[in-house]
Amino acid sequence: MSANENVMIIGSGVAGMEAALMLSKAGKKVILVEKLPIIGGKTIKNEETFPNLDCSTCLVAPIQQSILQNKDIQVLTYSSIEKVSGNRGDFKVSVRKKARYVSLELCLGCGMCYEVCPVVLKNEWEENLADKKAIYVPCSGSLPNVPVIDREKCLNLNGTEECTKCVESCMFAAIDLKDTDQVLEFSVSGIIVATGYDIYDAAEIDRLGYSKLDGVYTSLEFERLFASNGPTQGELILRNGKKPESVAIIHCVGREESGYCSTVCCMSSSKHAHFIKHKLENVRIFNLYSDICLTDKNYQKFYDSVKSHDSEFIFQADMNSINIEEAGDKLNVKYLYKGKVEQISTDMVILANSLVPPKNIVDLTEILKIDRDKYGFISVEPYEIGSVETSRAGIFVAGCVEGPKDVQSSILQAEAAVAGILAVINE
Amino acid sequence: MGDKIGIFLCECGPNIASKVDMDRIAAEIAGLKDFGDKELVIRRHKLLCSNEGKKFLEDEINSNELTHMVCAACSPREHDSTFIGVCKKTKLNPYLYTMVNIREQCAWVIPDKEQSTDKAVKYIHGGMNRVLYQEQLFENQLDSNCDVLVIGAGIAGVQASLNLASKDRTVYLIERAPELGGKTTRLHGLLTEQGSNLNMISQKLAKLKKNPNIKVFTSTKLESIIGFQGNYEIVIRNLVNNDTTEFMAGAVIVATGYELLHAGESAYMEFSDEHDVHCGLEIEALMAQQKKVLKKNGKTPTSVGIIHCVGRELSGYCSKICCNYLIKISSYIRAMYPDVPVVHYIRDLCLPTKDSQSFYKDVREEGIEFKYISGLNLKGETVKYADPYGTEGTDEHDMIIYAKSVIPAMGTKELAQLLNIDLDEYGFIKEAHLKINPISSSNDGIFAVGAAHGPANVADSIIQAKAAVAKISTQLIPGQKIVPEVKVSEVLEAYCTGCQTCLKVCKYGAIYFDDAKAVSVVNGAVCRGCGNCVGSCPSGSIRSRHFTNPQLFQEIKEAVR
Ligand SMILES: Cc1cc2nc3c(=O)[nH]c(=O)nc-3n(C[C@H](O)[C@H](O)[C@H](O)COP(=O)(O)OP(=O)(O)OC[C@H]3O[C@@H](n4cnc5c(N)ncnc54)[C@H](O)[C@@H]3O)c2cc1C
Ligand SMILES: Cc1cc2nc3c(=O)[nH]c(=O)nc-3n(C[C@H](O)[C@H](O)[C@H](O)COP(=O)(O)OP(=O)(O)OC[C@H]3O[C@@H](n4cnc5c(N)ncnc54)[C@H](O)[C@@H]3O)c2cc1C
Ligand code: SF4
Ligand code: SF4
Ligand code: SF4
Ligand code: SF4
Ligand code: SF4
Repeated sequence: MSANENVMIIGSGVAGMEAALMLSKAGKKVILVEKLPIIGGKTIKNEETFPNLDCSTCLVAPIQQSILQNKDIQVLTYSSIEKVSGNRGDFKVSVRKKARYVSLELCLGCGMCYEVCPVVLKNEWEENLADKKAIYVPCSGSLPNVPVIDREKCLNLNGTEECTKCVESCMFAAIDLKDTDQVLEFSVSGIIVATGYDIYDAAEIDRLGYSKLDGVYTSLEFERLFASNGPTQGELILRNGKKPESVAIIHCVGREESGYCSTVCCMSSSKHAHFIKHKLENVRIFNLYSDICLTDKNYQKFYDSVKSHDSEFIFQADMNSINIEEAGDKLNVKYLYKGKVEQISTDMVILANSLVPPKNIVDLTEILKIDRDKYGFISVEPYEIGSVETSRAGIFVAGCVEGPKDVQSSILQAEAAVAGILAVINE
Repeated sequence: MGDKIGIFLCECGPNIASKVDMDRIAAEIAGLKDFGDKELVIRRHKLLCSNEGKKFLEDEINSNELTHMVCAACSPREHDSTFIGVCKKTKLNPYLYTMVNIREQCAWVIPDKEQSTDKAVKYIHGGMNRVLYQEQLFENQLDSNCDVLVIGAGIAGVQASLNLASKDRTVYLIERAPELGGKTTRLHGLLTEQGSNLNMISQKLAKLKKNPNIKVFTSTKLESIIGFQGNYEIVIRNLVNNDTTEFMAGAVIVATGYELLHAGESAYMEFSDEHDVHCGLEIEALMAQQKKVLKKNGKTPTSVGIIHCVGRELSGYCSKICCNYLIKISSYIRAMYPDVPVVHYIRDLCLPTKDSQSFYKDVREEGIEFKYISGLNLKGETVKYADPYGTEGTDEHDMIIYAKSVIPAMGTKELAQLLNIDLDEYGFIKEAHLKINPISSSNDGIFAVGAAHGPANVADSIIQAKAAVAKISTQLIPGQKIVPEVKVSEVLEAYCTGCQTCLKVCKYGAIYFDDAKAVSVVNGAVCRGCGNCVGSCPSGSIRSRHFTNPQLFQEIKEAVR
């Protein structure tokens, strides 16, 4: 048995959290490294989860809570790995824990500090659909519910002026503007990489008008627009202040460019159609698709019901023929039908963006010295079917950073990675 | 010694203290008439959940020798476990403590301070009443058996067995067929991304046979199983000589795989034995045996039609594996007959692995045609179809290959009954929770992997097998005892009329009927304390030990007064 019973997990989405909880159950010590100030990953951006439309918070918050309360799991939020040496069974990892300026022990999450902060910024976590302050939590219900200060933007920290408004507002003396980054060293027997995905940048495809036309939204922007803890408290209010009467959902955005089908976006698009229809009864919804990909036995039933009750589905032989143009305060979605150009006039377009490797994947894989596949995802042992071990022994992968997948497949892969890690430790 | 109740009021910083009148609460509670004869220790703290707060609680419990404790603070969801943890460090039994939520239920939702204070007093009063009716409960430790029964020796069952077996853990692998390996051993090859050949599978089978910690039983079925996680008594029966074998195991993995839906059930597939119409598995078998696909008259085919999704309208789901394997079969045909036209009839392309799209593009580049259709009729080897816009067409082929829907293995229903696990509406084994606990069945200790769960390719099956291995290795650790739920239900024998209603409502199979005494009995090791049976019993003879009627009554009585 290896003397080292510590495991490092990078990324705290559903995959990383599942692996962490399981390992702690087996009595192992886990170091969970998350680059954001909060844990939970992408699923906490969703109001509901397909296909049964479970409330996402109800699914994930108890998992987040058990992670934060677990004595065997050391959670390092706002952190990233910097250096890895050693081998399977005995890695040394340095982790940079960025200064948060707010004490995780003292802060109660009362929110007084961000009320008083004078700096207003775009909130990227809310897909830039809401504002935040220089001291902020990404969204209400964040876990841990402790703010962080953006040091580039804070007037005091960036040297603009001697502002200490937040410090004064805090009744718990939780804010320390002298906080510094820390570099922590860990010795672990194995590593699980679970850093998830990002979505394809739709601005790359000019004809879809994303970032130029206000009515065009990405799938994640829509998730936040629909979320009851999101920028509009779940009201479907467009950037122009109106509610949509007609919505087009465009599938496979970036599929051709990225080279694979993302497997979840047919379902997420169906979910979006369902959401809209149930919020705005008289709305017309059109899904423009080329294939319907339903990778779980439980998915078709949901899709069938959306197709018969909520949305029209229009087959597109060539998704590249879709063009979105401005027409007054409406959007014209042009597409080919039987070889002829047809158009739908809509107020809102939702793009089903492909899932792509997370932005920092190159740096991360270089630090870890592990291989990427031709799409940029982390690759596993070639031809070792169902492997979850990367090209470097002792480093495992789980969730969407290995390729697009839904929540349950991410969790299954995380569990498989745990089996791999346990084998390393028990050797 | 009389009762001495500690009542701890948490300010939660300004969260509670600024919205309810803490002084008034303390005063009113101290003056409660019905507690006049009880000793009360009332304390306020700024933040009970902090390290300092926990230490404070611990010291108060010890120095005052409290017999009961009420914490009025936030939601139990947030800190119940924190305060239970504190109790465990002291002599106070954790089940003689209760938590009252005066934050989410008072401070945060009632703007009027007086009203929220009134409500808080009532709630705390309710908690004080309840706690006096609570009983000490004690955690039990049970020995557990760590061996595992694996049912089905397809790739999923084989992989699970290989990863689980060790000197501390024996695996009993039973397979009803005379041979090991399941469906994959009948294939000619695998997908390109999987290395094309079946070497990996044969290597695994060879390893399996050599592993001394795996006991393999072919031509064998499960005869009976009773018990619960950590303690199953199992009997298996040999289908040839009827011999039975008995053993104990702590967990069960169901890896019974799938079957294919009979094409005859799809009305639009009209053909007979004389036609060259084959399902994918037949082609795989032909290729595996003869390395060649010929027409029934021994000639080479001149035009091949490949039909997707047959039976999908009946099964009700996409089978997920067939687009991929039909494309693989196309590549076999192309390699054999470079010039024979091949047309796929597809409604949707399901390309579920990240490499399937480039595989599809590659075969398309080799001249394989893909026609999107909205409907089709097969007569013999002739395909009449409508394209997505309704335009009709007819193609004559002299060989048809088609995909059949993946359905649950024969006998899955009977097996599920033996194991007392739920099936989903399609007859596959149902997940404990589809999204967050997909590998467990509805019964603790029983897991399902591979196609037994629903359509799965080899990679999915192997990943699931490993997931089940992780579950078992983290739940059933050799040498470790298991601690069952404490807040369970119990049947009061004297009142039970033996109607057996409770047996039907218990999802966990925790209740059995004692024929000799003619009463129902709850197995405390299996019961999860959900309370279903309590509500269902017509004679009111089941009680949940931490939610008894008097406890609930005492608590509610104050809130509604
Ligand atoms: C619009 C949309 C809707 C969806 N809806 C559903 C649905 O309803 N049901 C469903 O099953 N699936 C849905 N999905 C898919 C689902 O989001 C994924 O299956 C799931 O989030 C994958 O979890 P993960 O843990 O792999 O990754 P993530 O959730 O992406 O988590 C990864 C974590 O790693 C962190 N991280 C990234 N890089 C680093 C680094 N270098 N160092 C440290 N940490 C890092 C990230 O900040 C993040 O917290 C949807 C996807 C989209 C795009
Ligand atoms: C034509 C075709 C081509 C395919 N090609 C590929 C491919 O290229 N790549 C790929 O990844 N996948 C492919 N697949 C899918 C692959 O066959 C499955 O993923 C795989 O077989 C699933 O394995 P399993 O162990 O879950 O089930 P199975 O292989 O079905 O094994 C289940 C085993 O359990 C036994 N069993 C059933 N019930 C009982 C019982 N009650 N008691 C005891 N034993 C029982 C059965 O006899 C069988 O041996 C293909 C499928 C088909 C039909
Ligand atoms: S010190 Fe910085 S974070 Fe705090 S209030 Fe001022 S600008 Fe905002
Ligand atoms: S004011 Fe203090 S306690 Fe409140 S959220 Fe800000 S840092 Fe935390
Ligand atoms: S899942 Fe659907 S929308 Fe997404 S890439 Fe695949 S076919 Fe297109
Ligand atoms: S995998 Fe392809 S052939 Fe099979 S049911 Fe799904 S869409 Fe049809
Ligand atoms: S409380 Fe629930 S789990 Fe326990 S015996 Fe009753 S029904 Fe079964």
